[in-house]
Amino acid sequence: MKSEAEVRPRAFRGLPAFLWTEVLVQIHEELAMATSMMVQAVLLVFVWVLNPGLIGVALVGAVLFSMFAMGQRVLNEAAYIRIDHKVSDLYLASPLSAEAYFLGMSAGVLLVYLPPVVVVGVLAAVVIHLSLVEVGLLVLLAGTVWLTSASIGYVFSTAFRDNRAIWAYSSLFFNIFGVLPPVFYPFGLFPAYLRPVALLMPPSAAAALVQWAIGVTVLTRPEVYLASGGLAVEGLGLFLFAVYWARRTVRGE
Amino acid sequence: MSGEALRSENLRKVYHSKGAPAVEALAGVSMEVRRGERVALLGRNGAGKTTFLRIASTLLRPTSGTIEVFGYNADKTPDKVRPYIAVVPQEGKPFFHLTPREQIYSYLRARGLGRETSKARTEEALERMGLIEFGDRLSITLSGGQRQRTMVATVIATEAPLLFLDEPTIGMDPFARRAVWDSLRTLTQRGSTILLTTHYLDEADALSQRLYIIDRGTVLVSGTAEDLKRSVGGTMKVLLPDGAREIERFRSFGSCVRDAESLTVISSPERLGELMEVAVRARLTATVGPVTLEEAFLRVVGRSINEE
Repeated sequence: MKSEAEVRPRAFRGLPAFLWTEVLVQIHEELAMATSMMVQAVLLVFVWVLNPGLIGVALVGAVLFSMFAMGQRVLNEAAYIRIDHKVSDLYLASPLSAEAYFLGMSAGVLLVYLPPVVVVGVLAAVVIHLSLVEVGLLVLLAGTVWLTSASIGYVFSTAFRDNRAIWAYSSLFFNIFGVLPPVFYPFGLFPAYLRPVALLMPPSAAAALVQWAIGVTVLTRPEVYLASGGLAVEGLGLFLFAVYWARRTVRGE
Repeated sequence: MSGEALRSENLRKVYHSKGAPAVEALAGVSMEVRRGERVALLGRNGAGKTTFLRIASTLLRPTSGTIEVFGYNADKTPDKVRPYIAVVPQEGKPFFHLTPREQIYSYLRARGLGRETSKARTEEALERMGLIEFGDRLSITLSGGQRQRTMVATVIATEAPLLFLDEPTIGMDPFARRAVWDSLRTLTQRGSTILLTTHYLDEADALSQRLYIIDRGTVLVSGTAEDLKRSVGGTMKVLLPDGAREIERFRSFGSCVRDAESLTVISSPERLGELMEVAVRARLTATVGPVTLEEAFLRVVGRSINEE
C-alpha cells in the first residue's frame, strides 16, 4: 500500500517529474528540433532581402513568433498523446494533478525549444542595441505570449477527436496570429483600421510594445494600454482558464 | 479505507451526441471487487466494459448511480481515488520517443515515488516483462507487442492498490501473456487488486478468481469461471463430428449445439459413460473434453441475444 505522502491530493502535484518526462520526449525528436525555427528563418530572409534596415524589428518578431509557436506545439502534443497514444489516460488517472499535466507538458516543450530562440534574442539585442530594461521587457512579453499561446493550445487540443483536423487549425493559428499581423514588420505599416485587432493578438501586441519601447513605432496612449492590458488579461485569464479546463476535461461527460 | 476495493451500484452511462440517438452504454451495473481479488470483466465489443473501467478510473462521469473505490466516491472525489489506482488504457501506447526504461521510471516519478524506489521498480518491471533487452531503445522502434508490454510494465511497476487493465495482453505472444499473468498474480499476492477486461477467454479462465459478463450495459452473470461453466448445463463436452443427425438421442444428456454435421453435447461428468454408450451404439466417433470458458461465454451471451 502507498505511503501517506503519495496519496495526498495536491495542486500541481508531479509537475517537475512530468515536465522532465516531456523534455525527454521532445529531445528525442531531433528533426522537429532542427526545423523548429524554419518559418522564422524564411521570414527573416524575406525581410533582409526586401529591407535590411528592418532586420532588428524582424529579429524581435522572430523571438515573439517562436514563443507563440512553442505554445502551439502544446496543441499538437496534447492532442497527439490523447488521441493517438491514449497515454494521457495513464497520467490523468494517477496522482499527477491535471494542472501539472498541462503545465508540465507546456514547460517541457518550452525548455527544449528555447535555446535557439535565446540565440535570436541575443542577436536582436546586439543589432538593435537593446538596453537592459528593453531586454527585460522583451523577456516579459515573450513569456506572456508563450503562456497565452500554450493555454490556448491546451484548451483547443481537448476539442479534437482526430489529429488530421488539427493540422488545418494549427496552420490557421500560425498565419492569423504570427505571419499576417505586424510581428515581423513595423506596426506603423499595418492598416490603421485593423490596429486594434492586432493589439489584441498576443504576438503582434507584444511586438508593437517592443517596437514602441525602442522607438521604431509610435503608439498612442490608448494603444499602449490596449496592448499591455490586453496581453496581461489574456495571459493571466487564459492561463487560469486553461488550469480550470485541464481539471474539468480530465473526465469525459 | 473500505473493505472492498471497488463497489458500484446501479451505474448508468448514456452517451449523447449531436445528430445521433443517445446510446445507453451502462444500464445499471452493480458489482463489487474485494481487496486482493483478480476480477475479469467480459463481454462482446460495445458491451460497456471500457465505459465501466473509465468511470471507475475517474476518467468518465456516470449519468447516474454510484461507484466507490476504497470507499471514496470516484465521481465526486476523483482526486482521492487517483493515488490508489493505475490504468492500462485500451489500445494505449507508450510515448514513442521514450525508451521503456525512461517511460516506466518517469511515470513512477510523476506519481510521486522516490528516485531509488522508482529505479528499483523500473528494473524489476523490465525484467518481469522481458524488456531488459529493449529497455534503452526508443519505443518507436519496438514491435506492437513490445510496446504493449511497456504499457503493462509501467502500470505493474506502480504496485498501486487497484489496477485497471483494459485488454492488457492484446497483441502479445503467448510467452509475454504468461509473463503478464504471473506478474498480476504476484501483485495480488502482495495485496493489489486487479480488474481487467479481455477478449481472450483462456486468459480470463487462467487469471481471474471471479468474473462478470456484461452485455448491452447490464450484468448477465457473475461468479467464478467454474460457476459459469456449470451454469450452461455441465462441465464436460462431447464433440460428435457426424452427430448432428442424431441430435434427438442426445437431448436428454444436456444442452446440444449443432454446427453443420457436428454436434456438441454439454453434460455432467456423471452422465459421460451413458452418453458414450449411446454414441457407440449410434456408431459415432466422439471426442471428450472439458467445457471451456469461451464455450460457456458464447452460450450465456448467445442466450441473452436470443432472449431479446
